[in-house]
Amino acid sequence: MTLIHHDFADQMDRFGGNTALECFNCGTCAAICPLIYEHFPRKMIRYLQLGAKDRILENAKELWRCLHCGLCSRTCPREADPGEVILGLKRYVVANWRKS
Amino acid sequence: MSSETKPEEKEEKVGVYICYCGGNISDHVDVEAVRDRVEKIPGVAVARTNMFMCSDPGQELIMEDLRDGIVDRVVVASCAPSLHEMTFRSAISRAGENPYIYEHANIREQVSWVHHGEQATDKATLLVSAATAKAVRLKPLEPIRVNAMSHATIIGGGIAGMRAAVDLADRGIEVALIEKSPFLGGQLALLDKLAPTREKASELVSHLASRVINHASIKVHSCTTVEHFEGYVGNFKVGIKKHPLESNAYKEKMKMLNPVHKSAEAFIPFAGVYSGPVPSAAEELVIDTGVIILATGIKSYTPYQGEYGYGEFPEVITLSDLIRNLAENNNGGSLLEINGRKIKSMAMIHCVGSRQIPGIHPEDASGHLNEYCSRTCCSALLNASNVIRETYPKTRVYEFYRDIRTYGRGQEELYEQASKNRVVFIRFESQEAPEVSKNGYSDEFPLLIKAKDILTFGEEVEVPVDLVVLATGVEPNEISKIVDMMKLPVGPDRFLLEVHPKLRPVELPVSGIFLAGTCQAPMDAGEACSGASGAAVKAAALLSRGYVELDPFVADVDIQKCNGTGACVEACLSDGALELVEMEIDGQKVQRAKVTPAFCLGCGACVAVCPENAIDVNGWTLKQYEAMVNAIVAE
Ligand SMILES: Cc1cc2nc3c(=O)[nH]c(=O)nc-3n(C[C@H](O)[C@H](O)[C@H](O)COP(=O)(O)OP(=O)(O)OC[C@H]3O[C@@H](n4cnc5c(N)ncnc54)[C@H](O)[C@@H]3O)c2cc1C
Ligand code: SF4
Ligand code: SF4
Ligand code: SF4
Repeated sequence: MTLIHHDFADQMDRFGGNTALECFNCGTCAAICPLIYEHFPRKMIRYLQLGAKDRILENAKELWRCLHCGLCSRTCPREADPGEVILGLKRYVVANWRKS
Repeated sequence: MSSETKPEEKEEKVGVYICYCGGNISDHVDVEAVRDRVEKIPGVAVARTNMFMCSDPGQELIMEDLRDGIVDRVVVASCAPSLHEMTFRSAISRAGENPYIYEHANIREQVSWVHHGEQATDKATLLVSAATAKAVRLKPLEPIRVNAMSHATIIGGGIAGMRAAVDLADRGIEVALIEKSPFLGGQLALLDKLAPTREKASELVSHLASRVINHASIKVHSCTTVEHFEGYVGNFKVGIKKHPLESNAYKEKMKMLNPVHKSAEAFIPFAGVYSGPVPSAAEELVIDTGVIILATGIKSYTPYQGEYGYGEFPEVITLSDLIRNLAENNNGGSLLEINGRKIKSMAMIHCVGSRQIPGIHPEDASGHLNEYCSRTCCSALLNASNVIRETYPKTRVYEFYRDIRTYGRGQEELYEQASKNRVVFIRFESQEAPEVSKNGYSDEFPLLIKAKDILTFGEEVEVPVDLVVLATGVEPNEISKIVDMMKLPVGPDRFLLEVHPKLRPVELPVSGIFLAGTCQAPMDAGEACSGASGAAVKAAALLSRGYVELDPFVADVDIQKCNGTGACVEACLSDGALELVEMEIDGQKVQRAKVTPAFCLGCGACVAVCPENAIDVNGWTLKQYEAMVNAIVAE
């Protein structure tokens, strides 16, 4: 069960790269990502969209797999900039690590 | 009827034209063998073949033979007559001959598509022989010409009815606009900022309504229903009834009329444009009219008790309720307020009462399921979400959808804009619809929506909300009385059914009756106006000649043989088509049958019962049938 936190998307603004709500969940980024790992990075982007911050913290380690190769951002058909969103999420996790 | 021309008296010269249909026929039928055989039939002057008889060179073959006087009867053996009978009749007309000296043999659907080899060639020969035997006995006919009144009656005063009324009146045609309520504007008058442009519905409705009310050629009959109907294209009679306020259902809305508004032309929000005084007593009238346009429109779907919590929780409302609230709210804060409650988070649920699936959704009380998409709710909902997010930035919006169907110009942009406005989309499968329940976690948000979200890999998500808006779709207005009176076809979805969805999209099969707007299918206001203008043009074209021509395939009485038994009158299925009239023959007063061609269906029920063989259907006489049967059984 994923409980939604309404203000999460706005809270993310100060961590940068908050374009997740532009994403329409096509999965192109997950297909192109060299990690080929469990819908990464779309899954993380989806959790951000929903405001499922518990899920993000639970799965925070996954964020550090990202190579920042930028392939996803280059192929995303919307302006969701998934690579940047992953970076923003890392900043968020670093800022909230201890609290959780 | 003049007595049947006997083939012996004068040699008819039948031309037979057999088509290959580019292989469609000739792959199975030996077309040249058929030609060789039918050429020998008495009465056949020439028999020719062509790769495509419907092509220009094919038609030219026929026209040349007619012009040269080689033939005076034409048989084409090709595809089904529904496809090309008109093509060949018109070729005959262009060659200067009467188009009714034509007979068609279908050797594609009835032969080459279902038989093969020798059998196919034999059956094709038989069908062509039968057509030839009939052709010998064909006589030139004239279409039935009836005067058409330059007057149109439009039923329904929504955007579509008003659009059609103005278009026709501008063309110089008198219009009666019949509206059952005291207001013009229909559903559109119940809306505010329209998708996709945010144009004000009130402005569109006021603009058209004032043209309607002030047009010298348009008479608006409000509070009026249609009670009787008779006649035929060009000459219909529509019986109408005006209802005083006590007996009509619009009392509530009439209360909104303050004295200032009591003059015509005033737009009253969420009611429409008041088009003049409500009749003080019931009154019945008959309108003589040439054409009828149906524009009876739609109503908004009402959710059943408990559908997504509707009727159980006051926080669950419909899209129509939301639109009205948005229009009437001007609280100006950063949070939307509905009924005095601040809305921090709200859910919109798509496809309520639309795209229902047997086995998943329950039927309504009368056993109906709305399996169609209502087409306007996605855009109207996204439009509302954008308005809310832009006006009340602190109000969060979640859209629960099955599919987003923003199909028209400027509509996909609404979806993009919603993403930019941080509207969150959650997608569900029809069989796992979201559940609306009381929020057990906290008092902050009264309701909780649970959904299995496809976009989150099927995980269950829970959204606490203050408000749930159901994107209720549309249903056609109840017009079964009109449907029965005018004998109109209705689709399984209960909307009126046009003759052909692409080739004749605004016509009903009853000649002279058209459809405009959402009585045909769910559409947005722009599409409703396109349909209405299309219907108006079709109606104007029909009336422009001052007369209409009907097919001459109607019953015809041989006065010499008729002895007035009246069996035909009793058998006739069409009111007014046949009657016994008194006339003088050889100084004696006698009763004889008389046909009113415009009412005759050409069904032949009368022919079957006449003991004297005194009545026949032109173009399909008993003698012609006999000749066809003889040709088939002759060996
Ligand atoms: C909730 C909702 C939101 C919508 N949002 C939008 C939008 O944002 N943009 C958009 O373009 N479209 C929108 N639409 C669609 C729009 O309302 C329709 O396209 C439009 O109203 C169709 O007009 P119409 O004339 O065909 O039918 P209607 O508006 O339904 O008018 C029919 C008229 O006929 C009258 N009538 C019915 N039966 C009879 C009878 N037997 N005798 C006499 N009179 C009769 C009715 O009283 C009514 O006045 C929305 C619809 C709904 C329900
Ligand atoms: S930037 Fe990261 S998430 Fe994007 S494709 Fe490269 S490794 Fe994958
Ligand atoms: S490619 Fe872009 S739009 Fe598609 S899922 Fe990834 S982030 Fe979303
Ligand atoms: S327009 Fe959208 S909400 Fe309406 S029925 Fe169609 S898919 Fe559902």
